[in-house]
Amino acid sequence: MATITLEDVTKAYGGVEAVRDATLTVGGGQFHALVGPNGSGKTTVLRLLLGLTRPDSGAVGRDDAVLGSGFQTPNFYRGLTVAENLDVFASLVGAPDGDWRETIVDELRLRREMDRRAADLSGGFARKLDLALALLKQPDVLLLDEPLGALDDVSKARLLAFLEDYRSTGATVLVSTHHLREFEPHVDRVTMMHAGEILLDSPREAIETRAEESLHEFYVRTVSEREGLGAADD
Amino acid sequence: MALRSLLKKELHWSRHNVLALLFVLLLLPATLAGASVAFQHVIPRDAPVAVTPQDPTVTGDDLTIIEGGVTLFSDPEVVDSTAEARTMLGREEYYAVLQVPPNITDGSETNATFVLYVDGSIVPFTEASKAIRNVMGFWLQRLLPANTNVERVVVGEPNTLSEFLVPIALMGIVLLLAFTYVPYNLDKESNVLDRLRVESSLESVVTAKLVYFAALLVVPILVVHGAATYLGYQVATLAPLGVATLLLTFVYLTAISTSVMILTKFGTIGRFVNVIFLFSLLAFSGLAYPVGYFSPLRKAIVRLVPVHYSMILTRSAMMKDLDPGVFADWLVGLVGVTVVCLLVLKLSAVYYRRTI
Repeated sequence: MATITLEDVTKAYGGVEAVRDATLTVGGGQFHALVGPNGSGKTTVLRLLLGLTRPDSGAVGRDDAVLGSGFQTPNFYRGLTVAENLDVFASLVGAPDGDWRETIVDELRLRREMDRRAADLSGGFARKLDLALALLKQPDVLLLDEPLGALDDVSKARLLAFLEDYRSTGATVLVSTHHLREFEPHVDRVTMMHAGEILLDSPREAIETRAEESLHEFYVRTVSEREGLGAADD
Repeated sequence: MALRSLLKKELHWSRHNVLALLFVLLLLPATLAGASVAFQHVIPRDAPVAVTPQDPTVTGDDLTIIEGGVTLFSDPEVVDSTAEARTMLGREEYYAVLQVPPNITDGSETNATFVLYVDGSIVPFTEASKAIRNVMGFWLQRLLPANTNVERVVVGEPNTLSEFLVPIALMGIVLLLAFTYVPYNLDKESNVLDRLRVESSLESVVTAKLVYFAALLVVPILVVHGAATYLGYQVATLAPLGVATLLLTFVYLTAISTSVMILTKFGTIGRFVNVIFLFSLLAFSGLAYPVGYFSPLRKAIVRLVPVHYSMILTRSAMMKDLDPGVFADWLVGLVGVTVVCLLVLKLSAVYYRRTI
């Protein structure tokens, strides 16, 4: 099964370490949440996994994994329509025409927006188009940076269900987020980051939360303790 | 696969930017071509002139005396052979060749005919060469014991200043596209670069842009050709060597402007640097006025700028009936410059990958 790995990876920007000694394996058909507060290094980890950034030290392994990526700032040609973006990127990644593309368009409710210029899309539809482009080649590993940002509640529920279905095909879904609560029912594995370090990387079932403590609460408490602010013992 | 896909995207983009493209590719070249009719006269100074012997009996003293005489109106230089000097006339290294007859100072000849060769396509020098011919005739008559006559011979078909400006307009369009429009286009699309780098490569994106815009360059060339034909200009705007030189120039200039954009991480500073490049090249390429008209420093700078040679090649292909072999060394040089610029572009992409 396709995997991507980071081994003791460090990456700094302008002398500030965005990621320090990170070791991580992404794959195994899991629904994987990469969580951490703003500036914790999640996006840098995603960029390292995608090969968009080179590590200063350590190694990144990608074997033959087919990667799909959804970006924090939607990445598409703003001057083209939704249909044209899908057409160009489907051609670019060698995705066949037909059922899969139609499925993506329907699942993400993009059908009515096909002739709209991407620059004119609302934040939610821009996010959906970005995700659609990430899915075109049916990636083994889908890496999504804040995929629920700008989506309404109905769209969030639909997208989570879609991602769950996609994971069930054997693909790995990694979501980078600072809002773990929404993903909590779905995740198989959690990696927590803080100030460039990986605090925890564990299967969901191996995480020892306090009695009646949700995963989200555990995350907030762990990060708070790390920051020396005291536990959120609520 | 990547190239075809990205070219398809460029077609989509064109459909959405028809007005901008119409302006840059149709209106601008048509305006520049039309504006050329407003230029009628120009008075150049310090043009390079070769002083050559008519035959081996012409002495060095004779040549030195004549060289001193024409200094009033030009920057003369003695060249051993008229044939060699005329080749250099075609390459615009000289703007006139003054052929000196034998025995002009020893009194053995009663009549001496000097020949002043000028190139019909070097329009800014037309009036100057007539003035030089007249003043020189007056001055030589007073200086020499023989009856002197200066015969002015125009090499090739004489052109008008309007015709002279047509290749310059085309080169201006190439500069404008390379240093403003392509960088603007790249900057506008930098927000999709991460996805493109995941699915393809920065090199593929840039190659698609180079290929597409180079192909689009054919449109303004055709527009200028249409305008020139309508105005009855004797300019071969579709001469293969001229078109090839324009395309080659576009490729190496765009490689430079694109490298600047990549090295500045598609920042605003990159666009400013490119605008500075544009104005510098307009000022220091000797597009309209020959290199010999400038100060020694500016002259030295112009001779280091590849666009200067691109301009002469384009003008020569469109306005002169010359064997392209005359420019073989320059063509090889321009191809070399293009290869170097593309290499710089490749290295800038590598730098981008390593530093982003």
